[in-house]
Amino acid sequence: MEIPLAQEVIFGLVIGSYIALGAVGFTLVYGLVNMINFAHGEFITIGAFAGYLAVVVAGLPLPVGILVALVATAVVGWGIARITFEPMNETGAVPLLMMSIGLGFVLRNGMRVIAGPSSRRVRLDVATYRFDDLGFFVTSQQLLIIGLALAAVVVMHLFLSRTMLGIAMRATSDNEDLALVSGIDTRRIRNAVWLAASGLAGVAGVMLALSQGANPTTGFGQLLLIITAAILGGAGSPYGAVVGAYLLGIGITVSVEFLPSGLTELNATMAFVVLIVVLLIRPGGIVNTEVRTS
Amino acid sequence: MNENRTSSRDSWADRRTFLKATGTGVLATGLAGCIGTEDGDDGDGGDDSDGGTTDGGSSPDSVTFGQPASLTGTWDFLQPAASAATDLAVQEINDAGGPLDAELTVDRQDTAVETQQARETVRQFVNSGDVAAINGLFSSEIEPLWDFLQDQEVPIVTPWPGSTFLDTRGGDKGTDDMGDDEWLWRTVIGDTVHTSGAARGMLDEAGIEKMAILSATSAGEQGWTEQFTDWYEQLGGEIVKTVTAQEGQASYQSQLNELFESDFDAWALSFALEDAITIIQNWSDGGYGGQLLMEDGLRDTALIDEVGETAEGAWIAAGSTQGPNYDQFQSSYQETSDEDLHTWAVAAYDATNVLALAVHHAGDTSPEAVQQSIGDISRPEGTTVTTFAEGKDALDNGEEINYEGAVTDTDFTEHGNVWGDVVVERITPGGFETEFTIPADELKEEIDEY
Repeated sequence: MEIPLAQEVIFGLVIGSYIALGAVGFTLVYGLVNMINFAHGEFITIGAFAGYLAVVVAGLPLPVGILVALVATAVVGWGIARITFEPMNETGAVPLLMMSIGLGFVLRNGMRVIAGPSSRRVRLDVATYRFDDLGFFVTSQQLLIIGLALAAVVVMHLFLSRTMLGIAMRATSDNEDLALVSGIDTRRIRNAVWLAASGLAGVAGVMLALSQGANPTTGFGQLLLIITAAILGGAGSPYGAVVGAYLLGIGITVSVEFLPSGLTELNATMAFVVLIVVLLIRPGGIVNTEVRTS
Repeated sequence: MNENRTSSRDSWADRRTFLKATGTGVLATGLAGCIGTEDGDDGDGGDDSDGGTTDGGSSPDSVTFGQPASLTGTWDFLQPAASAATDLAVQEINDAGGPLDAELTVDRQDTAVETQQARETVRQFVNSGDVAAINGLFSSEIEPLWDFLQDQEVPIVTPWPGSTFLDTRGGDKGTDDMGDDEWLWRTVIGDTVHTSGAARGMLDEAGIEKMAILSATSAGEQGWTEQFTDWYEQLGGEIVKTVTAQEGQASYQSQLNELFESDFDAWALSFALEDAITIIQNWSDGGYGGQLLMEDGLRDTALIDEVGETAEGAWIAAGSTQGPNYDQFQSSYQETSDEDLHTWAVAAYDATNVLALAVHHAGDTSPEAVQQSIGDISRPEGTTVTTFAEGKDALDNGEEINYEGAVTDTDFTEHGNVWGDVVVERITPGGFETEFTIPADELKEEIDEY
């Protein structure tokens, strides 16, 4: 017996996985550094190129390539933040926002100059597992992407809940002044946030290099969905961002099934309809309250 | 309770701050795209320049063509070959002494295939007074700028646009009266021709009577889809489903799944290259099967490099890339450039030669004279020539000429369009192999006005 919409939900989980890792990093930076980083998409792009270089050019196995991309993007992202954002940390959200927009342009076009416009893909041998009686199939690449995202979320959860640094990050996110007087080194926390957010962006980049290839706009193309997932889940909440990302992903794919022929391109629009409805009903996002009170 | 209320209020404040800052960012990003491009209409309109550096009818020192180019943006992967082909034509023209015995140069400016940037570029070309004619512009630039381009009254011969918008616009209307001229000509076969050819090929040659289409929403891809659907249904076929999708997605599996819920004999794909590669990978991973037909814009060696094996057996329908002078052109091109050759690059070579011969025929670089000469040097009457050197010699001997190009025979219709055969090719890991050809003469019977 076929399970209704099972196939669409699987596709949605894949798309949600791409968005989730980007959205978690984005929302961590918002929650702890108190800035909207419009250059976050470019951090993802750096991860995509790092993954391509590690796996295709250097010939490393994929797991090693993912690790290389994670570390490389974390270090590069942290370095960029140290040079550009940290010196103007006290200037407020809007100057930081403008800086991130400018930085995004520079990075995007810089990568275009260096790498050219065309995509570089990371190829995998893909196996397809068919469950025709249940009405769906799943590929090894899809399982890898979903598994990678879930593993990253679990690691993030353990980090935030079981380590002193993670707990200090949550404390700083809730109230930076209180964290400061409690003896938490908020500068160290910000460094950790940039490393974590950029590292997660690097993993998201590798996943995108697997599916659509690494090109100068790989990450920028996902930015709107990432911001939407962050808002949907509750800005500043990494758990909310994960939930928001998967809701968006499933919303995007399931709506294709219900839209009339010739209007299926509105599937992404339907995801934003979900966002509007959620914000009207629950202005704090999906899990914002729970996270704040925890 | 108080803590909770405070927390809730903070949360509200945080959200308001977040949304406000995000909104500011989006606004700033939007503004950044507009800075330096919007300029109102003041100063538009005809320019008094006579184009080129001629002075009072004497032979100029140099002749310059403006080339709006896709140096950046979505279509920038097409520009290197087009630039190389243009430069090859310029080199050959100058080796033959140049139009009016002057040195030909090309002023290449980036438009990123964006309307406002294209408008500014054309305005700069015209206002500079140094440009005798323009060699370039894409469909998505021409359509919104049509009235503006007509106001400039400068001849434009472009290798890019397939748009049906130009089927009844452009050219000299086959008359000597300048009053009905529309200043734009194209050296590439229009979408009407190759979509009708593709539709006829599917029905008559392949016997495919039911099709589905997966299409992007961009103007070019949507246009192809609408044209193909119209022709296919007009000729008796049935499009059972059309699934549309926005470009730039990480996966198109849900769209493919929706498409393949219908029953059809073959499916067509109308997307730009990078997305098409993703879709073909998704199609292969999902094991959907079926005969695939791709739009002409995907005829690129990058497609073979990326998915030549995956898409083996798929078809691609495109206007013939090989006109009367193709072999000669290709030989010269391979000596000067490593860039992967495509139809538009060959058409850019033709456009440059057409304009140079028109200038030489005109005897000066005034826009009116060049515009009036384009039809004269390219239509069937006169001595057939395939290079600028041959054409210049013939013109200097007082003969009328008929330039035949590398991509088509360049016999412009009254609307400034060219005809060509439509070829359906099969994709193999090694390249494209001709499956069947639909001659242009057959298509002329179907197309009333072009």
